[in-house]
Amino acid sequence: MTDLRVNSGDEAIRALHQRLRAATPDVRDAAQFLKDLFERSALSSVCISEDVAMPHARTTAVSRIVLGVARTAAPVSFDVEHPGVRLIFMIGTPKAAVTEYLQAVAALSRILKQGGTRAALLEAPTEAEFRAVLARAQLR
Amino acid sequence: MNVVTDPAKLLLERMLRLLRWRVWVQEKLQPTEWQITLLWAGFAGFLGALSSLVFQGLAEGVHQLLTGSNEGVVESMKQLPWWAVLALPAVGGLLAGIVLMLGKHLTKGQSSTDYMEAISIGSGQVPIRASLVKSAAALFSIGSGGSIGREGPMVQLAAVMASFIGRWRQFTPPQLRLMVACGASAGIASAYNAPIAGSFFVAEIILGTIAMESLGPLAVSAVVAAMTVRVLTSEAQLYKVPEFRLGSPLEMPAYIALGVIAGILAPWFLRSLKHAEKIFIATKLPLVARMTLGGLIVGALAIQVPEVCGNGYSVVVTILKGQVLWTTLLLFVACKWLATASSFGSGAPGGVFTPSLFMGAGAGFLFGQAVHTIWPGGAVDPRAFALVGMGAFLSAVSHAPVMAVIMLFEMTLSYDIILPLMLCSVVAYYTAKGLDGRSLYSEVLKTKAAEKIGDAGFGRGQVAELMKSKPPTLSRHAHFAEIARMFLATRVNNLYVTDEQQRFLGAVSLHDIKPYLGEPELAELVIANDILREEFPRVGPESTLSEALGHFLNFEAERLPVVDPSGKLLGSLSKGDLLLALVEMRKKPLVV
Repeated sequence: MTDLRVNSGDEAIRALHQRLRAATPDVRDAAQFLKDLFERSALSSVCISEDVAMPHARTTAVSRIVLGVARTAAPVSFDVEHPGVRLIFMIGTPKAAVTEYLQAVAALSRILKQGGTRAALLEAPTEAEFRAVLARAQLR
Repeated sequence: MNVVTDPAKLLLERMLRLLRWRVWVQEKLQPTEWQITLLWAGFAGFLGALSSLVFQGLAEGVHQLLTGSNEGVVESMKQLPWWAVLALPAVGGLLAGIVLMLGKHLTKGQSSTDYMEAISIGSGQVPIRASLVKSAAALFSIGSGGSIGREGPMVQLAAVMASFIGRWRQFTPPQLRLMVACGASAGIASAYNAPIAGSFFVAEIILGTIAMESLGPLAVSAVVAAMTVRVLTSEAQLYKVPEFRLGSPLEMPAYIALGVIAGILAPWFLRSLKHAEKIFIATKLPLVARMTLGGLIVGALAIQVPEVCGNGYSVVVTILKGQVLWTTLLLFVACKWLATASSFGSGAPGGVFTPSLFMGAGAGFLFGQAVHTIWPGGAVDPRAFALVGMGAFLSAVSHAPVMAVIMLFEMTLSYDIILPLMLCSVVAYYTAKGLDGRSLYSEVLKTKAAEKIGDAGFGRGQVAELMKSKPPTLSRHAHFAEIARMFLATRVNNLYVTDEQQRFLGAVSLHDIKPYLGEPELAELVIANDILREEFPRVGPESTLSEALGHFLNFEAERLPVVDPSGKLLGSLSKGDLLLALVEMRKKPLVV
């Protein structure tokens, strides 16, 4: 989803979580998933760069790996060191799926490292274009 | 191009690169815990050989100091006036006694120094100070010409060295016991230049098993020890003897008869040593006086028969070369028996292994000579009977026929005599065992094992006995960099994650993170909590060893966490230790 209008990292997590639970039946226990997401965020920062956050949780609340992507309309603060986050990648993986979790995080890191992808995602005028940028990056 | 300049990131990338190398090396070489044990066994062999050489050098030094001669014990005794021959072993006994007495203050509270006890029924810890005191005392009893073997203390010292390595590396009791066994194997290999016999001596007599789990490290240790001695002293086989061969199959009945005779004489020999000990104790004299008296008896015998002094090595060589008349030899054997009983009985520290070889050689030669006189075809060469007699006597005394055959072969490199040697050793073994179930080594172990039975914590076969405490742990907040650093610093494949109360949460597996070591970006995000495996199996401290084995069979790991009922991490259990302990449990019980 693009142009998410939120004022904080917590709000962003709640909004994207709301969207994800509506989009897929793989989120079996939405309340638990949200709790696990916040618990993980409390343990250590979930940002991988100044404007990208990856709130994630290994949880019993999902039946298979789920991924939600959002761009905020304005920079939001996730923590003191990351006050200007715009891109959010939310990941939920089943408890036992350690390998899949690492695969997903590594794949996203690679995509965001590719020259221009991050800028293209930030500048995509529509959600369709945003999705297209992601799809192209994935193909590369 | 994206150039990283942040020192923290550079360090992280370097660390991840190192970890990738570690994983690569590990995958290519796959050094298992067993292979690492072999390396330590080799090191124990090296140190064991060095300690043996140092002891030998010191014993020769003491001998030179006391006699002013740098020749062998028997030769220098022959050159001394009668009063010096009488006094010297007594002075040696006195000095050894004083060392033991003074040493008592230094070694208060230390347990038994016996390496066999440490391996068979103890924790594998051989006390260092007490062993050094005993070895120092042995230097005087041996250097002064006492009728006792120098090889015993050499093996003891090698075992101490190995125990020291094991304690330094914080080995668990089964590993430590194996390490001490490796030391003993190295000691025998270097003392007798017999690496195969060294390995089998420990396996057959002390461990009671020739399972590859233990025999492998014993062999490596023995080989390294023998190599070290050969390089440093250029010694080849111990007894350079003429080539013996079986003259004709008609000799076999005589060899069988020799086996029976050795099998009867050996228990007598052992009983006489024990009896002598009792007599000395019954005198109620203090240890120093007893040892002086023991030395005095040896000295008195040596005035007429200097051959009784020392471990008997030079006389055995003379017998094997056929340079002794049978009447003279009869006198030698009788006096040597008395001298060994005096030295051993008075409490002189040293071994009776080599004196046993002397008795065997003497008995074998005398028997061979007797048969030869009556029927020359039945015993063509009495010297060959001396050689076979050594093996038979050793087999009967130690209750280890395999080791005896191998040792004789290694010491003399006479392969042609192997057939009668094997037969005679086996006959002697069965005869001795039928007459007396006790061997040279079983007595002390039986007594000690009986004492240990009363100890409730011993030998219940529970995980707690094998557990290694303080395994490397991570907090759930630990970042990728810390995880990588810990994997580099330790050699484990799984790191345990605990909470603030030390409760076990799960494990981070090197196998999981291996494909992502080339991606430092993950270091920013991933923490231990993200990748820990909560389902990692765990064992309780009171689980039985077979329960623990079940866990290892169902899960591929070198170690499992030991967790108490409240979930607290107590330590870790290694698969190697578990298998070693199971091998130890398989051997026959010491107390029957």
